[in-house]
Parts: sequence; C-alpha cells; structure tokens
Amino acid sequence: MKISKQARRDAKELFLSCLQNGLLDDEKVRQAVKQVLASKPRGYIAILSHFHRLVKLDIERRTARIESALPLSADLQASVQASLTGVYGPGLSTAFVQNPALIGGMRIKVGSDVYDGSVQARLAALQESF
Amino acid sequence: MSTLLQEIEAQIAGVKNTASKQNVGTVREIGDGVAKIEGLTDAMLNEMLDFGNGVTGLALNLEETEVGAIILGDYTSIREGQEVRTTGKLLQVPAGKGLLGRVVNSLGQPVDGKGPVKAETAYPVEKIAPGIIRRRSVSQPVQTGIMAIDAMIPIGRGQRELIIGDRSTGKTTIGVDTIINQARMNKAAEAAGDKEYRPLYSIYVAIGQKQSNIARVISVLEEAGAMPYTIIVAAAASDSATNQYLAPFAGAAMGEWFMDNGMDALIIFDDLSKHAVAYRQVSLVLKRPSGREAYPGDVFYLHSRLLERCARVSEKYGNGSLTGLPIIETQAGDVSAYIPTNVISITDGQIYLETDLFYQGVRPAISVGLSVSRVGSAAQIKAMKQVAGRLKGDLAQFRELAAFAQFGSDLDAKTQAQIERGKRIIEVFKQPQYNPIAVEVQVAILWTVQNGYMDDVAVEKVKDFQTKLTEYLTSRKADLMGRISKEKAISDALAGDLKSVVTEFKQTYKPA
Repeated sequence: MKISKQARRDAKELFLSCLQNGLLDDEKVRQAVKQVLASKPRGYIAILSHFHRLVKLDIERRTARIESALPLSADLQASVQASLTGVYGPGLSTAFVQNPALIGGMRIKVGSDVYDGSVQARLAALQESF
Repeated sequence: MSTLLQEIEAQIAGVKNTASKQNVGTVREIGDGVAKIEGLTDAMLNEMLDFGNGVTGLALNLEETEVGAIILGDYTSIREGQEVRTTGKLLQVPAGKGLLGRVVNSLGQPVDGKGPVKAETAYPVEKIAPGIIRRRSVSQPVQTGIMAIDAMIPIGRGQRELIIGDRSTGKTTIGVDTIINQARMNKAAEAAGDKEYRPLYSIYVAIGQKQSNIARVISVLEEAGAMPYTIIVAAAASDSATNQYLAPFAGAAMGEWFMDNGMDALIIFDDLSKHAVAYRQVSLVLKRPSGREAYPGDVFYLHSRLLERCARVSEKYGNGSLTGLPIIETQAGDVSAYIPTNVISITDGQIYLETDLFYQGVRPAISVGLSVSRVGSAAQIKAMKQVAGRLKGDLAQFRELAAFAQFGSDLDAKTQAQIERGKRIIEVFKQPQYNPIAVEVQVAILWTVQNGYMDDVAVEKVKDFQTKLTEYLTSRKADLMGRISKEKAISDALAGDLKSVVTEFKQTYKPA
C-alpha cells in the first residue's frame, strides 16, 4: 500500500504522543488506535499501517530475544537479564527461545544488535575464513 | 608455575567465550540492484554491508527506519527477510604498481583472465581530495603527442582537461594517443637510464561503453606496447548501474596511490555523461528526489568531488600528481546542456572536438576557438612556447581573414600571406590516430612553418613535406633533436642549426 508523506507524518505524530518518559505506553497505543478507527480521518488505514510499523520497530528495539540450544537455568536467565538491563537501560522485555540449530552457546538480539556466541556462528565464521 | 599456566588458560578461555557484537538488519525490499534494509542502526554512510555468500552492498541512504543500499555484484540471490550485517569498513579497491598491465572491474577484481592482482595496498574508493596546503600549482607538462594540443592547449601534470565533443569525433582517440605517448616516453627514459625523468602511469576508466569498444582500446594499447604502464578499469554497458557509478572513483583511488607515493599518473574517464546517467538510475531507484532532467541534486558534487581528486601535491607531500582527462559526449554539439556545463565549470579547460571539422578531414577535429587550457601554459617547455606562443592568435586571425576573403579576391600581399600561412598551419596540425609525435619533432616542425620555410610548399604537399622532414630529422639529425629535448629552449645557436638543417633538407626535397 502506498503511504503518503502526510500519513507518515501523522503516524509519527501519533507515535510520539504515545510515549511516556521516552517509553511506549501500551495503553495509550490501544487508545490511539481506537480513536483513529472511530474518527476515521483522511487516509486512516495508511496512518495506522505506518503507525503499526513504528510500534513494531520500537518493540523490536526494546525486546531482547535470547536464543539458546538448551533451556537456560533460572539463575542464568536472571543474570543475562540483569546484564542486558545494564547495557540497554530499564524497560527492556526479554524473550527466551530454544533453538537447537545453534548447537551450543547463546545468541542475543536486541533491536539490530546481535551478540552471537553460538557454536553455529563460530562454525559459519570458520567456513567463511577458508 | 602451575598458577601461571592456569592464568593463561583462563585468559584464553575468556577470549574464546567472548561473543562479538554485530549490527544486523533484514532485507525489506530488493530490486534493480538496490535493497531497502530494516534495522542496521549503526550503519555508516558508504559502509560495506555483508549480505552473506560473498555478496556485498554499499549503504548510500541512511533513513529513519531503514537503510538504502546498492548491491555490488549479483543481486539475484538476495531474498526478502535475509539478514545483512555491517562490516565497519568503507569500500576499498586494490592499489599499487601490481595493477599495471591489468584490466579490472570497479571493485579492482581482474577481468582479463591473467590471475589474481598483486596489489601493494588497498585505497578507499571515496576519499576527500587533497587540501589547499598540500597542493602546488601545475608546472610540469603532460606531452600528449598530439601537436595541436601540445602547441595550443597544453596540459600540465595535475590538471583536469575536459575532452568534449559529439559521438565519433575522436574523443577516446585523444586519450589513447596520450597513453601511448606516455608509454613511449617512459620506455625511452628507461632505456636511456634517465633518472630525472618522472614516468607517467596511465589509468583508463571505461564507463558504460560497449565491450567491443573496450576490447578495441585494449588491443590498440597492447599493440603499441603501452599496457605495462596502464591500468584499465572497465564497467561496460552490461554491468550494473552501481558498478558504472563506482568505476571512476575506483580508478581515482588507484591513481591516488601513485600521487601519494610521489609518482605521476594520468586518468581518463571515458565518459562522464554515461556516468551521470548511471548515477541518475541509482538515485531514482533509491527514491532520491530528482531535479533537472531527472538527475539528482548532487550530480554536480558527484563530478566535482571526483575531479578535485586530480591534483599536483607539493614537494613536502611527495611531489606526486594525478592528471585528469574527463570525456563528455555532447548531443548535436550542445555544450550548454546540463552535464557538459557542469563539467566544463569544474575542469581547468576543455578540448572541444567538432563534427564538421572531422568530416572536413581536420583530424584531430579540435576547434581552436572553443578550446582552452587555463593552467597548462605554465607547464609548457620553453622551446614550445617560443614556436607556438602566437599560434592561437595567428589561427584566429586566419579564420577571420579567410571568412572575409570569401567576399572578394582583392587582397593585399600581407593578408594573402597570412591566409597562406594559416592554411599550412592547419595542414601541419592534421595527424593520424595512434601516432603521437615527440615534442622535439613538434618544436622543429612548428619552427619550420613559423619561419616561413613551408610558404613555398603547395598546401596539398605540406603533409608530405612534414613527413619527410620528420623522417630526415629523426634519422639523420638525431643529435639536433636530442639537443632540443635536452636544452628545452631554442637558443640562437640552435635556431642557426635548425635553419641550416631545414635549408639543407629543402634542397633535396622532391614532392611525391
């Protein structure tokens, strides 16, 4: 769908109005979507789809996806969470995922930052070095 | 001791466990050699991006939520959702003397089937041109071997001289002739063991040209034995627009290596009109705003930053130079079009080639009135200045008189003589392609015509006279030629010798 410049601007404004202390407020987002759908301004579908994208990117930025070959112990999970909060600040949600393809080690993705200490990544690096 | 070993082991184990931080993104859109990538928050402008499987990209647009990148190489294997990484490196090409004699693409990879390139180092493709402090003015000549250029529109080392003209007017030929002449001079200096001579290495950048044309240029250079002093950067018409856009910058990077290492190099951009078109294509698919003739707003900066990299640096910084000969193809002689005016204003002069002259048989078809060299005369050798100083003015006067003379035949003797002299000068400047003339021969020939020794030779026999005189001078009077190239000025003694030699020749000369 073609999203006009005006729709982008409106979506951005909507997104900024949903921030509280620099963090996205879930309740405000829900309310904003409801109100837009109720009032149906010009090009509201485009505004909402761009708004959706902005929210998606913000959630990705504030979500740490921690992949490991085997389930992590509660202690380890807590220590990983603590160190990630130390780096990225509060408001970071974490999701622990099991991925046997990693073979061993961990892969942490926060927004576009990736910390890859998995065996799979090392094997891939080794393969590229040949 | 055992504690020491344990310490070391612990340190090694610690290193192995460190996970490196990477910045990644995902491909959101791909097409026309351009990808839109979501993420990549740490990407730098002009940074190389790793798409995996040996495919690299170049980040050109940094937007709020995504990065626009051009793909270098095969983009058909890239899929939507694929992961892309930043590399932290700017685009680099190999540089060094190992590239001489090779044909490479815009990334410096060999395309001539002669095995890998043995490069000394790598140079960034985008580099800021030398600043004011590092530069010095042009003072050494680039002998093109084309008499009309060396006499009237001289080019100096570090100058940017535009070659402009319609299609098939001999633009590439001027470039190729110059390369051949440099190779000849380099070889002659090597053979004579001349330590003072600074060899001039050449780089020929072919942008958006037919493969057959590039192959022809290569074969001409090979035949003339010029390839050992030449690098060819080829981005043919079948290459992607991104490669065509990068080719001149890659060539400039290779040339800068010579300049930075105290050597002299010459770079020919053939041609920048096609380069602008390739850049327009890249910009349009990157959705950059378009301006006049749909070229992006920074098309002037594109060429100015490229040509500013051609410079002469001062002795403190190595005394090297990079001379630029950009080529522009005009449409129906229109020099006031967008790209030609841009490049004319950037360069230090232009050589304008005219279709009409070309078909009249004046080859090289240089229009003397429209061609200028703004800085090159400072680099001309004294002997050439002595014989060619007044040539441009004389020819301008001749053209005016010749136009006036068409209205009537009653002309005074002086005007008649001026017209006759002009006709002979024009004949003398005609020169076959790929046949550069040594500067000392040029000086001797011009001295002959300027001192009236050709006035009694029929206009149609001037070329024959010139050929035979050249033969006589190079085979029998090589010592005199040697003196001209050594002294670089025509002293009274030398003028006397030239007079006796030419008189002697005229006594034996019989027109064919």
